[in-house]
Amino acid sequence: MNCVELQQSLAEVEDGSSLEQRAHLRACPACSALVNELNLIVAAAGELQAAEEPSPRVWNSIEFALRQEGLIRPQRPLVPSFSARWGAARWLVPMAAMLLLALGIYVRRESLPNQMAQQASVAVPAANSSDLNDADLMQEVVDNEPAMKTQYAENLRQVNESIRDAQGVVDESPNDEDARRSLMDAYQQKSMLFQMAMDRSLP
Amino acid sequence: MRPGIGDLTEPRQPKGTEPSEAELIERAKLGDAEAFQGLYDKHKRRVYSLCLRMTANTAEAEDLAQEAFLQLYRKIATFRGESAFSTWLHRLSVNVVLMHLRKKSLPVVSLEETTQGTEEDSPKRDFGADDVALAGSIDRMQLQRAVESLPPGYRMIFVLHDIEGYEHNEIAKIAGCSIGNSKSQLHKARMKLRDLLKMNRAEEAGKTRAG
Ligand SMILES: [Zn+2]
Repeated sequence: MNCVELQQSLAEVEDGSSLEQRAHLRACPACSALVNELNLIVAAAGELQAAEEPSPRVWNSIEFALRQEGLIRPQRPLVPSFSARWGAARWLVPMAAMLLLALGIYVRRESLPNQMAQQASVAVPAANSSDLNDADLMQEVVDNEPAMKTQYAENLRQVNESIRDAQGVVDESPNDEDARRSLMDAYQQKSMLFQMAMDRSLP
Repeated sequence: MRPGIGDLTEPRQPKGTEPSEAELIERAKLGDAEAFQGLYDKHKRRVYSLCLRMTANTAEAEDLAQEAFLQLYRKIATFRGESAFSTWLHRLSVNVVLMHLRKKSLPVVSLEETTQGTEEDSPKRDFGADDVALAGSIDRMQLQRAVESLPPGYRMIFVLHDIEGYEHNEIAKIAGCSIGNSKSQLHKARMKLRDLLKMNRAEEAGKTRAG
C-alpha cells in the first residue's frame, strides 16, 4: 500500500485500523499525521453542540400558523387573563374592549338558543375593529422589538384580510353559521397578535 | 381515553417538575398552545442548528426550522408515544432541508463525478499549508466556520455523519445516493475541512508574524 492507496482506503476504513493501513502508517509519518488530524476533526465535530438559538420570529410564525390552522385552540377562559394583562397597556384598552365585546358575544351566542344567538351575532360586525389601533400595535413593536416589525406587519395584513373577507361573507348572508364563526376566528387571531406584542412589551 | 376538559384547567404543575415530553405531546394533540411551545423549546436548538449547518444561512435556516416544526405539528395527532419523537422531528428536519436544497438545485450529492478521482481530489494536492500541523484540539468556532465554507454536498454529508451521527446507510437513503458514494464524499469532506483548517492556521500564524 502506498500513500495514494492509503488515502483512498480511508473512505472505507476511516480510522486507519486495517492491517494494511497500519503497516503503511507505521512506516509513513506523513500519512500517520494525516490520519491523526482527520481523527481530531471527527472528534471535534462530535462535540459541536446544537448551541444556536433561532430568533423569536420562528416561534411567532409557528404559533401564528398553528392558530390560523386551528391546531392551537383556546382552552382557558380568555377574559380574566386578557384584562389582567392588557390593563397594563394604555393603547390596548380600547382594542381589548372591542375584542372582549366580540368574544363575549361569541361565547354567549354559543350558550344561547339559536334565535337569540342570531340577534346577538348582528352586533359582531358592528364591532369593526379591523383598523383600530393597528398603528399603535406597530409602534409598540417598533419600540420594543424592531427586528419583528416586518413579521408583525405581515401577520397584521393577513389577519385584517381574513377579517375583511369573513366580514364580506357575513354581510351577504348574516345567518351563515360558518361565516360568523370564521369572522370570530379572524378576530381572535387578531387579538392573539395583540397579545403576543403585549407579552413581549411587558418587563 | 381522551382526558376531559377539566384536566386542562387544573392548576399547573408545581415549579421544578417540568411536564414530560409524552405529556406535552398529549396536550398538544388537544390544541394546547403551551404544550406546542414546550415541545418547540425542547428541540428548537437542535433543529435550528441542523438547518443552519446544512444551509450556512441564518434566514434560510429559520424558515426551514419553522417549516419542520409546522409539518410535525400538523401530524401530531397521529403520533403515539414519546420515544421516537425527536428522531421523527430530526428526520423530518433533514428532509425539509434536503427538499429545499434540491429546489435551489444545489448539488445535494453529486453522484457520478466524485466516484472517479479527479485532479482536484488527488492526495498530492498542496495548499502551501502542509507544514502547519493540526496538533492539539480544534477550536469549535474555527471548525464551525470551516464547515460552513464547505461545498453544499460535502457539507451535508459531513453534518449528517460526523455531527448528527447518521450512519452511511441512512444517509444513502436520505440523500438518494449509494453507501459507497456517501463514504467517499465524507472522506473528501474531511480532507477539505483539514485543508481549510490548515489554511486558517497558516493565515493566523502569518498575521502573528507580520504583526
Ligand atoms: Zn504514506
